[in-house]
Amino acid sequence: MEFKESRIYRLSRREVVRMMQRPLYMLCMIGAPLFCFIYFTSLMKEGLPQNLPAGVVDDDNTAVTRRILRNLDSFQQTQIVSQYPNFIDARNAMQRGEIYGIYYIPEGTTQKAQRFEQAKVSFYTNAAYLVPASLLYRDMTMMSEYASAGVGREMLLARGYTMDQAMGFLQPIKMDMRAVGNPWLSYSIYLNNTLIPAVIMLMIMLVTAFSVHTELKDGSSKAWMEMAGGNVYVAVAGKLLPQTLVFCLMVCGAQIWLYGYLAFPLNNPIWPMILAGVLLVLASEGFALFICSAIPSLRWALSLSTLWGVLSIPIAGFSFPVMAMPPALKALSYLFPLRYYFLIYVDQALDGLPIHYSSWFYLALLGFALMPLIDLRLLKHAALHYEYTY
Amino acid sequence: MKKFIGSIFEVALRELKKAFTDVGALVFFFIVPMGYPLLYAYLYSNEVVHEVPVVAVDECRSSLSREFLRKSDATADLKIISYCSDMEEARELIRKHKAYGLIHVPKEFSKEVAAGRQSTVNLYCDMSGMLYYKALLSGCTKVSLSMNKDIKMARLSGRSNAEKENTVQPISYEYVAMANPQNGFCSFIIPAVLIVVIQQTLVLGISMLAGTETERRRRGVIFLSSHYENPMAVLLGKGLCYFLIYAFVSLYVLCLVPLMFDLPQLWQPMDLVLFMVPLLLSCIFFAITVSYFVRDRESCFLLFVFASVPILFMSGISWPSSAIPGFWRGLSYCFPSTFGINGFVRLSGMAASLVDVKREYVCLWIQSGAYFLVSMLIYIRMYRFYDIPGAKYLRDKRAEVRERIRARISV
Repeated sequence: MEFKESRIYRLSRREVVRMMQRPLYMLCMIGAPLFCFIYFTSLMKEGLPQNLPAGVVDDDNTAVTRRILRNLDSFQQTQIVSQYPNFIDARNAMQRGEIYGIYYIPEGTTQKAQRFEQAKVSFYTNAAYLVPASLLYRDMTMMSEYASAGVGREMLLARGYTMDQAMGFLQPIKMDMRAVGNPWLSYSIYLNNTLIPAVIMLMIMLVTAFSVHTELKDGSSKAWMEMAGGNVYVAVAGKLLPQTLVFCLMVCGAQIWLYGYLAFPLNNPIWPMILAGVLLVLASEGFALFICSAIPSLRWALSLSTLWGVLSIPIAGFSFPVMAMPPALKALSYLFPLRYYFLIYVDQALDGLPIHYSSWFYLALLGFALMPLIDLRLLKHAALHYEYTY
Repeated sequence: MKKFIGSIFEVALRELKKAFTDVGALVFFFIVPMGYPLLYAYLYSNEVVHEVPVVAVDECRSSLSREFLRKSDATADLKIISYCSDMEEARELIRKHKAYGLIHVPKEFSKEVAAGRQSTVNLYCDMSGMLYYKALLSGCTKVSLSMNKDIKMARLSGRSNAEKENTVQPISYEYVAMANPQNGFCSFIIPAVLIVVIQQTLVLGISMLAGTETERRRRGVIFLSSHYENPMAVLLGKGLCYFLIYAFVSLYVLCLVPLMFDLPQLWQPMDLVLFMVPLLLSCIFFAITVSYFVRDRESCFLLFVFASVPILFMSGISWPSSAIPGFWRGLSYCFPSTFGINGFVRLSGMAASLVDVKREYVCLWIQSGAYFLVSMLIYIRMYRFYDIPGAKYLRDKRAEVRERIRARISV
């Protein structure tokens, strides 16, 4: 039999017509994902935020302290936007949200440092804004170390040490930090690789649940089943085929956009990621179908899909690692398809490992895709007997 | 006028009844704001990442290198799970996600130190999580700073300890993390999430009710009393109804949830209450405005749920607003949550007073006014379009039914 005459083809055509009638579908399947590609990648274009506003209070105001502040200002992440006459003013500015950090140099710092009577500087960050606070903390700590070392270095050089000897004295052990895979420490790479598929996944689950259950709501489900010859597997396959294609296109488009155009780290060929993307689409549809079949109510199916889709984002562990979560949630994280996609991304794109390291994760995604086999029969029953109530 | 005010209260009462008898709306108005913050806060309840598993490769095998590794292991940040004999073995453990970092001490490590030259410890970090990087860097930096100090002090013989210390570090420093002393993830993200939850549940709940109404209107099964004649009264009545519900919901979300998870709560009660009023009003009228686009009961899920994530990122809490491109910053001013989050975070986390959050406060009032006007226009348009008040339609309908009944009786 030719494909064009097959039930699946006819069902798919019916589905395309249904989708064309409601702009909602296009908005969710194409509009929302496209918006998220553009939004998230342009939002975090800088990778690592630069020139974060900071304030200083310099009660000492000598050539030495001014040099410290000039140097601090020249750090990539820090920008001194204002100098305040006293600490209270600076703190008020922080409370107004004008600055993320304060560097405070008390009176007599230079004098004490030169007399070797330990001087003390302080710095404060507004840690309610965690990212800028930690970046400023890093710059300010480094600056304070340099300030201390700078005084010592002057002294050593004056005594006839070479620069190497001076550094060997001042900093005997040095750290050499290599951020493997993301040497720029780009937040865009760190978040968008999973955040964008996460949003697409949420949309997949919602659209799947919505398109299946509107049949029940509109009372067209009997016709739908009839068209499939009473075979629920054919009915579902035909129905989901068009949206699967669109979503696969969106996920793969996202990956080509990320790894091709934006040149995010990809240390293997793109195929393992494309495979993961397609499997993520199937897994999300499978999971949503599983929910739909188990709960024959549009609203409850959508609610549960929403819960799962939204919860995926924190529990996938790309922003806050799963290892630091409470044990119960660690266990729960195994039930989220996005978690496996994230692990595949780490192995295949970020670290470029051979594919067998990720084989379990691929299998898990496949498992989610096959989940509806458990309870799809219930959907048929619902399709034939369910009545929507207002 | 009297009738107008009467209508407002009547509408509010009826809408309350509607909200409390609709399971879908109940879920959005109560279950989600009740459960979601708890779940989310529980996820991050450990606040920071401790004891990140790392592997060590010690090619030096001297007392100094062992001291370095021992001290790294002893920091709260790191935990050395294995001492590997070579880099390949260590890498394999990282590939298998058993460890997230590698500390490599090169062969000449202690020799260089003894010779008075600078020696290097190499750190490699798995960048699948930024917090691993942070833990590895801060753990090892602390150790290297303290060991450097010891080495330097040992080199300066013949002076008192205090003198040595001052020579080694002429300028010391201290760091204070304000508003979130442990630099925790929970105290940082949860206050923002709470505001987003308030806004988004209002949007979803109100859209669901509005969608139901639109759907019924389409099918001609809506029954509205004569109190729904004046769109202004209807709008104010609905606003009052949601305001009453959310006065309680936000009390729970913004006061009890932070209490349960020991999040900073430094607000003055009066300031918080005064801040909440425009926040709720702007969220409510924002929700009523966007609910216009909802044509049936369930499409709110598809339209608004995904927006929570971009909205959270737009607020400037996780991604600093100074780094947000101008266009997106402009867009973020359309959402009450942007000002709500920034205001609430500073009120509760930084003990700011209402004066300190004046900008946000004023903006929220402006938003309340603007969205009220927009939703007013929408209501007027909708009333014209559907020829509501349903009252008129209903009156005709009732008259028709009565007519029919009368006809039947007379027959």
